Amino acid sequence: MRLLLAEDDAILADALVAQFEHAGFAVEHAPNGAVAEYLLGKHDFDAAVLDIGLPMVDGLTVLKNARITKPALPVLVLTALDGLDDRVAGLNAGADDYLTKPFDFPELEARIRALLRRTRPQQPAGAAPEVGRLSFDREARRALIDGAPVDLSPREWDLLDLLLTHRNRVVHKEQITQTWLADRAADNSEAPAAVGMIEVYIHRLRRKLEGSGVSIRTVRGLGYLLEAEAHAGR
Amino acid sequence: MSRPPWLQRTLAATVGTRSLHRQLLLWLLLPQLVLWLAAAFVTFNVAQRYANRGVDASLLQATRALSRQVKPIGNGLFIDFPRAAQDIIEADPDDRVYYMVSTPPGQFILGNRQLPLPPDVHTPRLNEPYFYDAQIDRLRIRLAALYVPIGETTGEPGEPRTRQVMLVQIARSQASRDELAQAILMDTVLPLSGLIVLMTMIVWAGIRAGLAPLARLRAQVENRAPNDLTPLQPQAAPQEVRSLATAVNQLLAAVQESVAAQRRFISNAAHQLRTPLAGLKSQTEIAMEANHDPALAARLRLVHESAVRGAHLVSQLLTLTRAEPEAAGTLPLQRVDLSALAAELASENVPRALQAGIDLGVEDAPTGAPPVQVLGNAALLREAVANLVDNAIRYAGRGAEVTLSVHAAGDQAVLEVADNGPGLNPASPDLHEAIFGRFFRATHEGSGCGLGLAIVREIATRHGGLARAEAVAPHGLRLRLQLPNRLIN
Repeated sequence: MRLLLAEDDAILADALVAQFEHAGFAVEHAPNGAVAEYLLGKHDFDAAVLDIGLPMVDGLTVLKNARITKPALPVLVLTALDGLDDRVAGLNAGADDYLTKPFDFPELEARIRALLRRTRPQQPAGAAPEVGRLSFDREARRALIDGAPVDLSPREWDLLDLLLTHRNRVVHKEQITQTWLADRAADNSEAPAAVGMIEVYIHRLRRKLEGSGVSIRTVRGLGYLLEAEAHAGR
Repeated sequence: MSRPPWLQRTLAATVGTRSLHRQLLLWLLLPQLVLWLAAAFVTFNVAQRYANRGVDASLLQATRALSRQVKPIGNGLFIDFPRAAQDIIEADPDDRVYYMVSTPPGQFILGNRQLPLPPDVHTPRLNEPYFYDAQIDRLRIRLAALYVPIGETTGEPGEPRTRQVMLVQIARSQASRDELAQAILMDTVLPLSGLIVLMTMIVWAGIRAGLAPLARLRAQVENRAPNDLTPLQPQAAPQEVRSLATAVNQLLAAVQESVAAQRRFISNAAHQLRTPLAGLKSQTEIAMEANHDPALAARLRLVHESAVRGAHLVSQLLTLTRAEPEAAGTLPLQRVDLSALAAELASENVPRALQAGIDLGVEDAPTGAPPVQVLGNAALLREAVANLVDNAIRYAGRGAEVTLSVHAAGDQAVLEVADNGPGLNPASPDLHEAIFGRFFRATHEGSGCGLGLAIVREIATRHGGLARAEAVAPHGLRLRLQLPNRLIN
């Protein structure tokens, strides 16, 4: 994947180029706005990382001009400015995402990949995400622990899917009920869910996930969180 | 030019350099006093004159009556002055009365006393009275004198005829006149004094009312917060005060601009620092990844930590400058759901808390309780709560529980973050207040920079609320953010 990096600080740019290349991207570096515009016109890129404070032509102008010729290009704005007004200005100028310096590279990479997923067709779900000893096939709606299938009701499936999608992040009870409501299949076959039902389903799911290296944690007052157990090996 | 000390002291005491009130009062009252004295003096003289007139009139009457008692007959004079008439003239209970008839003037022919002649009279007017004061044996007397023609001398043939003139004088001591003058004085001066006193009181009230706009202006300035640079309101103030208020407002505007410029500079500097810090962090991360030497790895970790700390400090500095009162003073306010904010920030921080081995959660609100809302600036409140949670995660320690709770207490909204970690050192009771100081750290572990709680307090104060810390039994710390619930109106 081809990435344009427009950043004027030489040291930071050097680090970013190295990190992106290490992550499998082909990176072109522009040290100022004029070169950035030139490169954007000359090559096709899959995504761009743009600093706002560029010499010659500033980042927002480059972005606005780029939006005219390449409206579909995913652009992430990387900047020291973190005020609300700056954020709004960036998004209004056409940025798809906004990240402030300093940042963690894994987060930058994840966001770029998220932008790319949005624009590119979904890869066939041949890749089954694996967590601990749990294998999860979304297309086939199947879960396997150490290769052995796990018997899940539709609601339990939705719950597990939701928790896995938000792995290591809090899922609120409202999100769970919303997901259940949205899935018609579940509604037809089982009684309508009440909030108290969530605890019951979590309890059932926990039992079924025993030994899978994956556990569901209760976050007091907020919801639930799925995480890989520390000692689970792969 | 320096005045001698005694003069300075006198001036200070009398002119009242420290008090406009006193100065105005002195300027108004001293002339009044002088004028009062002058009026009293003039009144006394006028009183005397009118008293004299009264006395003189009666003296004149007596003089004319007396003159009629002496008639020329042939070459002599016929004096018809019975004893009874004498008694009438002399009988005055208050004063002594003297009389004299003399002809030629000065030659005593009738009377009870030799009386002095009218002074400075060379060619006496006939039948026109003279009034004058004199003294007899230390007694002050008022005299009336009348020159009366009593015929012509039939002189020798060839000699011109000369008029014969008789001088009739009546004198009276001053006692009753003085009494009269005094009575007139009392009757005029006393009311005048009363008038002066009344005027003084009116002047005093007038000065107070006149200077009241100054007092109001002073109150406006004294009652404002130290950071408040909003302009003064010179409404309905008289011209002189308005120009003072305008001058002060200009000064305030200049200070505002200076403060704003400083703040912009700090903000720009902090922003500029971020890029090199990002470069430092990224390069260190690459180096750490590529490194195989364990000793170097340890060093690189420290470099990385230092870079992270620097970045954190810059972020906090920027947050703090944003939290400080804007020179303009106004803050965009919205309805903020504090319960939702707590839940949101807690959720966001759960992954980080888990990495630090901390059980982060939110206390359930009592069933049926409405969400706690406040009127405040959403961005700042978010920063405040974020810093409270961040503080707990950094310092509660592995294995601790951190709980957020939100509830309403009267007209206040309260958000608390409590942990059961080690808490603050109980031997230092002042720590619970000191931790809110800028750059104050209660521990040297970890990579905090000492600004988090200072930010919380700054934001709380801007919203008219407060931030407090208290110990939790048996061990732990509870941080409380209390905000007035201005939605109740």
